[in-house]
Amino acid sequence: MSKPLNGFRALAAAGAAVTLAATAAACGEDSGSDADIVWWHIQNQDPMMSTWQAMADEWAEESDLTFDVQPIENEAFKERMGTSTQSGEVPDLFQTWGGGVLAEQVEAGLVQDLTGKLDCIDKINPIALEPYTIDDKLYGMPFDAGVVGFWYNKDLFAEAGIEQPPATWTEFLDAVQALKDAGIAPIALAGGEQWPGHYYWTYLAMRLAGLDGMSAAAEAGDFSDEAFVQAGDMLAELAEMEPFQEGFESAAYGEADGQAAHMGEGLTAMELMGQWAPVTQADASGIEGGLGDALGFFPFPEVEGGAGAPTEYLGGGNGFAVGSDAPEEIFDFMCYLMEDENQTRAVTDGGFTTVSATPEVIAPEMDANTQAVVDAMATATGTQLYLDQAYPPAIGGVINEATEGVILGQISSEDMVAMINEAWAAEQ
Amino acid sequence: MSAAPTTSPVPPVERPAGRDGKASRRRPAGRPGAGTLAAFIAPGLVLFLLFVLAPIIFAAYVGFFRWNGLGGPPTDFIGFENFANLIKDSVFLGDLWRVGLIIAMSLVIQLPLAFGLAMLLHQRFPGRTIFRLLFFVPYVLAEAVTGVLFRLIFSERRGFADSLLASLGVESDIGWLSDRSLVLFVVFGILTWKFFGFYMILYLAGRQNIPEELYEAAAIDGATNRQMFSRITLPLMGPTLRITIFLSIIGAVQLFDLVFVLTGGGPFHASETMAITMYEQGFQRNQIGYASALSIAMFLISFVFALFYQRYVLKRDLQGGLTGGGSNGGDR
Repeated sequence: MSKPLNGFRALAAAGAAVTLAATAAACGEDSGSDADIVWWHIQNQDPMMSTWQAMADEWAEESDLTFDVQPIENEAFKERMGTSTQSGEVPDLFQTWGGGVLAEQVEAGLVQDLTGKLDCIDKINPIALEPYTIDDKLYGMPFDAGVVGFWYNKDLFAEAGIEQPPATWTEFLDAVQALKDAGIAPIALAGGEQWPGHYYWTYLAMRLAGLDGMSAAAEAGDFSDEAFVQAGDMLAELAEMEPFQEGFESAAYGEADGQAAHMGEGLTAMELMGQWAPVTQADASGIEGGLGDALGFFPFPEVEGGAGAPTEYLGGGNGFAVGSDAPEEIFDFMCYLMEDENQTRAVTDGGFTTVSATPEVIAPEMDANTQAVVDAMATATGTQLYLDQAYPPAIGGVINEATEGVILGQISSEDMVAMINEAWAAEQ
Repeated sequence: MSAAPTTSPVPPVERPAGRDGKASRRRPAGRPGAGTLAAFIAPGLVLFLLFVLAPIIFAAYVGFFRWNGLGGPPTDFIGFENFANLIKDSVFLGDLWRVGLIIAMSLVIQLPLAFGLAMLLHQRFPGRTIFRLLFFVPYVLAEAVTGVLFRLIFSERRGFADSLLASLGVESDIGWLSDRSLVLFVVFGILTWKFFGFYMILYLAGRQNIPEELYEAAAIDGATNRQMFSRITLPLMGPTLRITIFLSIIGAVQLFDLVFVLTGGGPFHASETMAITMYEQGFQRNQIGYASALSIAMFLISFVFALFYQRYVLKRDLQGGLTGGGSNGGDR
């Protein structure tokens, strides 16, 4: 029995070696640039593409370092990162969202520990560092951060006779009913992309189990606690009210008939989305400025009797991680990006939500929407990174999938919890 | 079937050239020697080994591991666990059911439609070339482009499909892509639109290969149209029919781009295919081991089907077909 297996293994190993060698050779070209610092980021459109190129050029002049800056489209970036991590050749500086994907890269020894290496660390809002902190060590520097909450259309709320944004889940369900009664689609949801739906389940779980309950469950890989089943039940209850726009099951987020466009055109009353929502609403609907002053923000409501507080936010942002072979001069460049003046450029050009510890210096005149997110972050008592980023991709994927199943009434809350537990068990 | 190699091995008719160096050296020009053969075969063989066989072997190997694709070669050997999970995976079983459904609909609707159109377009009538061209046009579009196109057409609020119905006075609230019980049929409709032209052209070519004399002779013998169709057209188009069925089935098993762009497999797996499940598992969830096991399952399904189909259905066609004179065996 063992002999043929060994023979097979040898053959397979040879095949593996050949394939890996081929992959490595193919990817080596990408990262094997002559420049001192190879930088991959995902701002592949102006104005930020030029802004970051300009910052790299400025620093190159000041420091005598050479740069190879590669702006890559979001999805393409993830794919290139995938192949390049598999070959063990990562760029010196690259986009990261922190969480489980970063943790996998850390485990594979591909990224540098930044703890104590960034002189400018005090300039950054500590809450924005959380997604990049793994086992008390920092592996990434954020440049944008924010929270998820309800973006709502004040005019439509008024039309339905809702006087103030709901503060509790009961009030929220009442508001949904009031909107329906007024003939307004209450909620825009991109059901075709599973991630927007997973915000609902996550927030309900956060409100019911509390952040401690969330981290305990993730620690143990066990979501059997009653709170997680109940979160699914409450989401199913919401879905049964049919609060979503027609055809939400296949809707995309950013397309012309998607979630953001529905909001931007004033067709639905609210959406649960991150800090980028106002910009995307305007872009996807093609209406300059989107809803403008009619757009408001309120935190995910409190769930009566739950352990969580409404000041606990689901959120996340964008950051940079440093490849294991990067020269140490790169830390100075990262701090150059953090300088007040350059932060301001990123906020004005790219519409980023600043991670600066002193946002009033960076952006003295913020628009009301950005202000709402910045205020929320300033008063946040805790944050939870999006689960599909925080957990390893295999588990995040299952949570997204199962949430869609619950919303569509295809699986029960118990099924969902069982799926998540099973995925964790397989990951151990 | 009469000459099954296991029971009665047929001695080779001629010795392969180059068995022994001497013989090949004495061979007259036109019979290449072993060295020449090797030189010509080697580049193709190396590419085949490197880019076809090696990845297959590698995928089969990885299928026995739990591996996220990061940090060096796989180490967590789990035996047949991935394969065992696969046959319990409701998504994968659903994929099989959906593939079966698409194949069934292709054989019952898509291919007969293409066949019928080919018969019509074989007739002489003005503008026939234009029709042939028009029907073939969808096939020229890339699958991804087709996906985007139909996403727009079936868009919920401003799609062409709904506008068209509205202009006909029908207020529709059909969730073309959002209704779980409908979406697979919409996908099939689009597949038919995309591929019927391709099969039609194959059928046209097959039909044109049938000598008109046969029909003339049959007409003189007093055959009816129906008789000519069932006694001449159908049997003589057998090879074409069999190969289109083969292509259609293999295409259904591997279906990916169009559906991925159109629906991503949703809502909640309602239009998911094996290749989409594999992509989700491998590239979204970093479950390279599981995805490899799935890819091996796909490979086996296609491979076993292809072997059996070629062995039992395409046998006569592959042995030289109609124009190759008498076939070597298994002929009726």
